Amino acid sequence: MKLSYKWLSEYVDMNGITPQELADKMTTAGLEVEGIEPMAQGTNLVIGEVMECWNHPDSDHLHVTKTRIGDKPEDVYQIVCGAPNCRKGLKVIVALPGAELPGGTIGNKPVRGQDSSGMLCALFELGVDKKVLSEAQLAGIEELPADAPVGERDVFGYLGLDDTILDVSLTPNRADCSAMWNMAKEVGAILHREVKWPDCMDRINDGTEGTFKVASETEKCPAFTGKVVGHVKVGPSPKWMKDYLQAAGMNSINNVVDISNFVMLETGQPLHFYNLAKLPAHEITVRDDIEMKMTALDGVEFDIKKGDIVITTGGEPTGIAGIMGGEESMIDENTEAIFIEAANFDYASVRRTSIRLNLLTEAAQRFAKGVEPMAMEKAVARSVELLEKYADASGFEKTVFCGAKNTEERIVKETLTHCNDLLGTQFTMDQVAETLKWLDFRPEISGDEITCHIPTYRTDIERPADIDEEVIRLIGFDTLPSTLPYMSATVGRMSAAQNLRRVTRDVMMSFGLNEIVTYTLVSQEYIDNAFLPLENPIALAMPMSEARKYIRSSLINSVLECVQYNEAHQNTDNCFYEISKVYGKDREEERLAVVLAGSLMKDRLHGIDTKGDFYAMKGILNALLDRFGLGGTRVHINENKIDTVHFHPYRSAEIFLGNQRLGVFGELHPDYAERFDLKRTVYAEINLDLLLSAKASHVKFTALDRYPAVSRDIAIVVERETPAQKILDVIRRAGKKLVRNMEVFDIYEGEHIGEGKKSVALSITYQAPDHTLKDDEITSAHEAILNELKKQLNAELRG
Amino acid sequence: MDKIKEVQEEALRAIQEASDLDALLQVRIRYLGKKGSIQALMGEMKSLPKEEKPAFGQKVNTCKQEVTAALEERQKELQKKAVAERLEKEKIDITLSGDRLTLGTTHPLIMIQQEIEDLFLGMGYKIAEGPEVEQDFYNFELANIPKDHPARDMQDTFYIDPNTLLRTHTTAMQMRELEKAKGETPIKLICPGKVYRRDDDDATHSHQFMQCEGLVVGEHITLADLKGTLEFMANRMFGEGRKIRFRPSYFPFTEPSVEVDVSCPFCNGKGCSVCKGSGWIEILGAGMVHPHVLEMNGFDSEKCSGFAFGVGLERVAMLKYGIDDIRNFYINDVRFLKMFDRFD
Repeated sequence: MKLSYKWLSEYVDMNGITPQELADKMTTAGLEVEGIEPMAQGTNLVIGEVMECWNHPDSDHLHVTKTRIGDKPEDVYQIVCGAPNCRKGLKVIVALPGAELPGGTIGNKPVRGQDSSGMLCALFELGVDKKVLSEAQLAGIEELPADAPVGERDVFGYLGLDDTILDVSLTPNRADCSAMWNMAKEVGAILHREVKWPDCMDRINDGTEGTFKVASETEKCPAFTGKVVGHVKVGPSPKWMKDYLQAAGMNSINNVVDISNFVMLETGQPLHFYNLAKLPAHEITVRDDIEMKMTALDGVEFDIKKGDIVITTGGEPTGIAGIMGGEESMIDENTEAIFIEAANFDYASVRRTSIRLNLLTEAAQRFAKGVEPMAMEKAVARSVELLEKYADASGFEKTVFCGAKNTEERIVKETLTHCNDLLGTQFTMDQVAETLKWLDFRPEISGDEITCHIPTYRTDIERPADIDEEVIRLIGFDTLPSTLPYMSATVGRMSAAQNLRRVTRDVMMSFGLNEIVTYTLVSQEYIDNAFLPLENPIALAMPMSEARKYIRSSLINSVLECVQYNEAHQNTDNCFYEISKVYGKDREEERLAVVLAGSLMKDRLHGIDTKGDFYAMKGILNALLDRFGLGGTRVHINENKIDTVHFHPYRSAEIFLGNQRLGVFGELHPDYAERFDLKRTVYAEINLDLLLSAKASHVKFTALDRYPAVSRDIAIVVERETPAQKILDVIRRAGKKLVRNMEVFDIYEGEHIGEGKKSVALSITYQAPDHTLKDDEITSAHEAILNELKKQLNAELRG
Repeated sequence: MDKIKEVQEEALRAIQEASDLDALLQVRIRYLGKKGSIQALMGEMKSLPKEEKPAFGQKVNTCKQEVTAALEERQKELQKKAVAERLEKEKIDITLSGDRLTLGTTHPLIMIQQEIEDLFLGMGYKIAEGPEVEQDFYNFELANIPKDHPARDMQDTFYIDPNTLLRTHTTAMQMRELEKAKGETPIKLICPGKVYRRDDDDATHSHQFMQCEGLVVGEHITLADLKGTLEFMANRMFGEGRKIRFRPSYFPFTEPSVEVDVSCPFCNGKGCSVCKGSGWIEILGAGMVHPHVLEMNGFDSEKCSGFAFGVGLERVAMLKYGIDDIRNFYINDVRFLKMFDRFD
């Protein structure tokens, strides 16, 4: 909110406290001051009069003036001025040589050959907010009234610009401070100074018996206060009121409307003044069961729905409660009698309606943040006082009211012990009581117990903890000691899954992969092209853009987009991984995505090039599974039959743990890769939940081999389609327990090998745990293997 | 006799003159071989009188031993020399680069997350987890932010349907943990994770970001305990000697609520461009768990109390590493990622 320092001084003695000091103290107490703006800035200013004005001989727009700032001959200055409205007889603001203005220091030097001592000023040149200035004021120098006192040095005082505005950021619980009176109380509590509110509360009782009736047919309007003012005289507002409204960012309209706004700013109660003559009946009923179209001030139509609070009079809707009044009954210059409405509307309802209709009026925003129950009476009483004083008001009728008066003050009890216990402090009863006294909580002390009487505007104070917060924030957080919790010991430990997630990152890092984190929200296109997506993708009710419309159901497109970005920025060998959850309507799943676009490791000098191909990916996944204790026979690599849209049909595979599919890995289908401008790229997307929850085998020691191993290399020719694994399976079975290890070390197709055949070279290691193998043992095992290979796979030993 | 001496001297000279192992082998053959000079001397013994034979034989043997010893020694010398020569030929350019065996990197946000996790694991906290697609109930209702509460404005929400949303803060996880505890204390946990708000992405705003919150509930937990805990954290994350400052604030789920500043690690509190001259940097929000939150979750707020705090991981990373644009974390340019190749 915009807080006028000068206005604040009307209620609290600000003597000896600069705006900066006030701002610092408020911020420390929880009312953060985000900016301090003087209404206007400038030194060495004085009011002057243009005595003579002629055109500058060397310019088509400059004027040369003789301007006087006093009656003596030396009080006349020659000043060059560029404003089009500069003319003889005008009363002006003069910045004398040496004046410090927001734009710089005013000099004393010729302008295009003409002497110029000083400057005639426009208000914006003095730092006045352009938003509050008229077009004329923005186009030229300020035109002061004809009776402006020449020689007056307190120019800002004369103009009512001798004020500083603090921009205060209020937390939602302190909406009460958006009322000046309440803000003053808060400042009083911070500064330990008395606060004086205008003494007008008994004016609520002014007036004679009348006939106006008010009623509420909805619990969303729990209280409604009104008052007929039989006679008002519409005219301009007093200058001080205009100034304060301007300081708060509001424009002056006329005295009556200004009073309704001014009182709202003072008390926090939004008011509505009706032109009594234009009300079809002397009756107002609040309802929330109306459905209709309502035309507002500017001709825009609004859909009123059931549940919206509506003001009706004589059976006809006339306004949307707390948000906007009707045009018919607006106050204008001919208004002679008014009806004052000060009501309490359900904040939630006003909030919903104003958001739906996009009518975020000042009143609506105040209602939406909550208005304290007593504000109605304060506002009506204050209105009576000001209308009488500044709008010649008379003919008051008795205040009419419907609903429940909820003005009982709240009592909150706290003990000194509990307060110190929660805060970890050792405040004395005197310290605490003093603080609460300045807040007007009227603390009553009885032993350890403090009974607080909470003013009605402090709707945020409900519990002992709220009292404790007031105590610490006003005594000061700098008094708070530092301790560590004193409690029974707890074990800090990661869950198994949390541990394994870190293991995954370690493995990925050790292979040179960089971790990425990409956005969860994706486009329709990404959802349509998801890989093994979770069923029923989740759409946002109100997305911010087409690109961020869905919660992703797989990772593939986000990850490929990241590779695409990097390739486009000349980053090569982009090997990444991401760990993230993906979502469908009914479940979530954590996934690991790995992408290899280029080499994992490359060094031309030393002849290293670990290409990020299918086998590199398989190696990475195997290493990961081994690290999880899930390697060996539980893992199956099968032909990819599930997704050949994203994947190369012959260079990809499904990976299983037992009978559960972990995911698919392999080369991307060139058509799909091309969508992201990618060349050969290898990708894997794995269900990490299955891995994190799988039961791993225990690490177990086995005795080291004591007897020598013997290796035999063979090369066999088999059908091209025969998978290597099949050959190894045959060898393993045929070799019984003597085969300790097998390694395929070469595959060859081409010359000297028959059409449709391939040669597989492999090394078989024989070893027994309990004796040194004899030659004939090995030979017979080896021959048994060759026989089986021949029998099962039609394998020929290559010569 | 002189002959022996003559042969010995000649042999020793030849040994010294042999410049490599091959030449030495020739010397060995010439003098010690079956047809060598020394063997020939033995042959001469036949023609000597019987009584001279032993002395002569002894002399020849001595000669043989001395020549052999000299040969062995020279052999070692030459072997050493040969090795040295071979090694010299093997000289490499040690200034050429080593094999490019690069390690990968962990995302800077995850590094910060792990750093905070480790810090609190060491103090006996556990790490909670929870869903990002969350119920309004856990994200707002249990956190003391009922429908139409003005505080809902503070975090504009991605709703999926009236009861489901993308969590706006990791507080949702705290609420799940509180509910799960069924009133049992102590509770000590942190809950890191992704959160989402309706913000337009720019240099300082992101519709997706990461938070880590902490929660402690037990008997006699105080606001001063919160301060001590956060001081400990600040010292670990931003270096020793950091100070903590509390400023009053408002969160619906804590009372009292505070904004927490840490003394600027770049200027040590003297004032610099990072802290905009104030000497302090706003780093997190915290407070004492609101008694109503405790009660809604089945705790007796008379008997126990707790504190909670929440920190934005992007904010910490940006401060720590001087990153000026939050979008960097989600663009994942490899050049950016590789800057964070170690813990710091």
